[in-house]
Amino acid sequence: MSLARLIERLLQLVPVLLGVSVIVFVMITLTPGDPVEIMIGDQVVTPELEAAMRHDLGLDRPVHERFFVFLGNAVQGDFGESFYHRRPVIDVIAERLPATIELSLVALLIALATAIPLGVLAAIKRNSVLDRLATVGSLLGVSLPGFWFGILLLMLFAVHLQLLPVSGRIGFSSEIEPITHFLLIDTLLRGRPDAFLDALSHIVLPAITLGLPMTAILMRVTRTSMLEVMRQDYVTFAEAKGLARHRVLFRHALKNALIPTVSVAAIETGSLLGGNMIVETVFGWPGLGRLVVESIFVRNYPLVQAAVLFYAVTYVMLNFVADILYTVLNPRVKL
Amino acid sequence: MRRTSRLLVASLLAFGAAVPAATASELVVGFTRDADTLDPANHRKRETETIIRNMYDGILTRDSDMNILPELAVSYTQVSPTVYEFKIRDGVTFHDGSAMTAEDVKFTLERLTAEGGMGDGQTSPRKSLLGPLSGVEVVDGSTVRVTLSEPWPLLPAMLPFQEVVSKAFVEKVGTEGMATQANGTGPFKLVEWRKGDSIIMERFDGYYGGAPGIEPADKACVDRVIFKIIPESASRVAALLSGDVHIINELPPFSVEQVKNSPNADVVTVNGTRSFFIALNTQGEIFDDLRVRQAVAHAIDKNLIIDKILGGNAESIAGILSPDAFGKNDNLPEYAYDPDKARALLAEAGYPDGIEVTMDTEGAFKDTAEAIASLLTRAGIKTQVTVGEGALLSQKWRTKGGEKTGDMFFTSWGNGSLDPEGIFVPTHVTAARGNSAGYSNPEIDKLLTEAATEVDREKRAAMYQQAEAIANADLPYVYLWVPQDIYGVSKRLSGWTPSADSRINLHDACLK
Repeated sequence: MSLARLIERLLQLVPVLLGVSVIVFVMITLTPGDPVEIMIGDQVVTPELEAAMRHDLGLDRPVHERFFVFLGNAVQGDFGESFYHRRPVIDVIAERLPATIELSLVALLIALATAIPLGVLAAIKRNSVLDRLATVGSLLGVSLPGFWFGILLLMLFAVHLQLLPVSGRIGFSSEIEPITHFLLIDTLLRGRPDAFLDALSHIVLPAITLGLPMTAILMRVTRTSMLEVMRQDYVTFAEAKGLARHRVLFRHALKNALIPTVSVAAIETGSLLGGNMIVETVFGWPGLGRLVVESIFVRNYPLVQAAVLFYAVTYVMLNFVADILYTVLNPRVKL
Repeated sequence: MRRTSRLLVASLLAFGAAVPAATASELVVGFTRDADTLDPANHRKRETETIIRNMYDGILTRDSDMNILPELAVSYTQVSPTVYEFKIRDGVTFHDGSAMTAEDVKFTLERLTAEGGMGDGQTSPRKSLLGPLSGVEVVDGSTVRVTLSEPWPLLPAMLPFQEVVSKAFVEKVGTEGMATQANGTGPFKLVEWRKGDSIIMERFDGYYGGAPGIEPADKACVDRVIFKIIPESASRVAALLSGDVHIINELPPFSVEQVKNSPNADVVTVNGTRSFFIALNTQGEIFDDLRVRQAVAHAIDKNLIIDKILGGNAESIAGILSPDAFGKNDNLPEYAYDPDKARALLAEAGYPDGIEVTMDTEGAFKDTAEAIASLLTRAGIKTQVTVGEGALLSQKWRTKGGEKTGDMFFTSWGNGSLDPEGIFVPTHVTAARGNSAGYSNPEIDKLLTEAATEVDREKRAAMYQQAEAIANADLPYVYLWVPQDIYGVSKRLSGWTPSADSRINLHDACLK
């Protein structure tokens, strides 16, 4: 793929992101519910004070003016101040982001590490008991609601077996000076295997819960594409040549069968972000998803706008990456 | 294969690496919500205040029975209806070792109440909690005189909501720095705030002991206190049962039995300060008739719902005020559960075949609302429950005198100060913020307005009692109950009782 095509594709992202900003702004502004009213709660305030609060938050300006101020500032990377935290939104989000990314990556790893072997196995042993089990399992995986599955895991591993902690990211005694803000990496960089295991024990359950639907989908995709590839002539030819079965399967078939898996994985990674809101709430994971949920309820406009924009950018970028990966893996396809 | 087995070992290790049980002096609270900021003057959330309150002391405080006691003040006197004097305690130091003086108290109150008092033209969002406070001066070395622009008997009840900050420290770090740093006079000092995850504090060894009225007035018992943020109630309960945490707030009623039956945890309750009621749209065609409103009151078996749905964890009310509130009228007539009477009243009002109405509520109260609806339906008031989101419903019902649509609204109003001013005025005065019923009675308006500035406590209480009697007869709302706040606690915990204002002060809490 030429560099010019790549740049062209990148430029196409600009109108998409602009459209997303407009939609995000309009939707959150049109949502009924007044941030100042919510902030005042069950209190008695004078109209003057209410007006002063409105002014402090910039809500006394007309909507179109607020939109252009938002857009102008957003282009420069300034998303305003969070109504509740009274600090720049970008700072508040930056504090929570590493936890979310770390959780999503581990979930992705778990999903890939279980989905691909299971998918291949189901394809090879087609219509066997194992295949049927995998099919039922993947159906369950897609349908089980995350909050319910997460709580079941908690009750089993944390309350009954007392093997894993209930919530949080790391124990209080494992204080680590941050380097990358990814605890699994930082603990190793600081030479603290005990803290690494502590962090690992915290991430296992939320990552499994978060990765479950993705595992199920990837397994189905791998199984289907593996079956398809195994019907191809070149596979039959390789077998006819007398190559060992495992060599045919892993050297020839799997390599091509994984192409759709990889691009679906890239796209599905975007949806991990959405699942984060629920999983982070259940497991008290200090990430962005929970922050966004809390912010929506109190109509913390600046934070929700910035976070949704971030989600959108990530999603669009991941799709872009998926496209590129696809062309790299499958040179017959052009961007 | 070797790789697989290595993976297996690694994951087994991970499973075995659960956090070791907290040491005897590390008290962990499983808490619903993280602090928004650590600046005592820059937030509007009770949860934020609960966390901050363990690091910052106030001029006044409350004990767990809600009595108002001097904390950083030694004593206070009301000099005139608009002037209070506070004698400030000697020998108190901030966590950074500097002495706390009357100047710090003056600075704190001015930062809270002056226009633009936070710097950068920003006014504290807590200003309204200090009403007509208009001036603060230091009269001699240790006395602070507070002036009000009009009489306001609430001042002592509202001061426990504010915490004293160090003037020098605020000037050094600015309002920006105050958001993430803490330098108070409280029993614990900040170690680390892992945002969204936990706030870790340790005992402040220079602590003066807190309010002498709250025994034992000494340094904190535990070495460390950790507020661990667990928003999901099922997970909070799990953390308590597994021993990860020692106190959890907002234990859901349906988990009470589970916690009670566990070997290492228990349930404690306290009367809350939030009154639940059904607002009847008195401007609407149906509920402008008193007889129809009475029919609704007679159709609801409050005790049945308290027993069956709320697990017995609520106290029935016949007026807006909670059982512990100032000025509560204890002799209000009850509208007894009597579905036949309800039908008769409906027939009298011209609805012999009953009525069809809707009741709005938030998702969290759907179960209770459904139970009420089925009771109402049985008495001929065919009720459909519609669930809406909190902010949306506020906009629909709290119209400040504007026109409303809708029939009934199952809702609540909190009153942390336990003073009628904080709940009676907003819900009952004509066109007030929380007047969901669209109620208007000049007599009530007059009583409540006069009571707000009445300095004689007894006279003031009598005015509220009279107002409650009028509202009970007019019935703009069907007053239901005040739920208890339910906490789960570890059996290892001692020295802590919940308080009605939902603060969790851990100064005297110990672990065995």
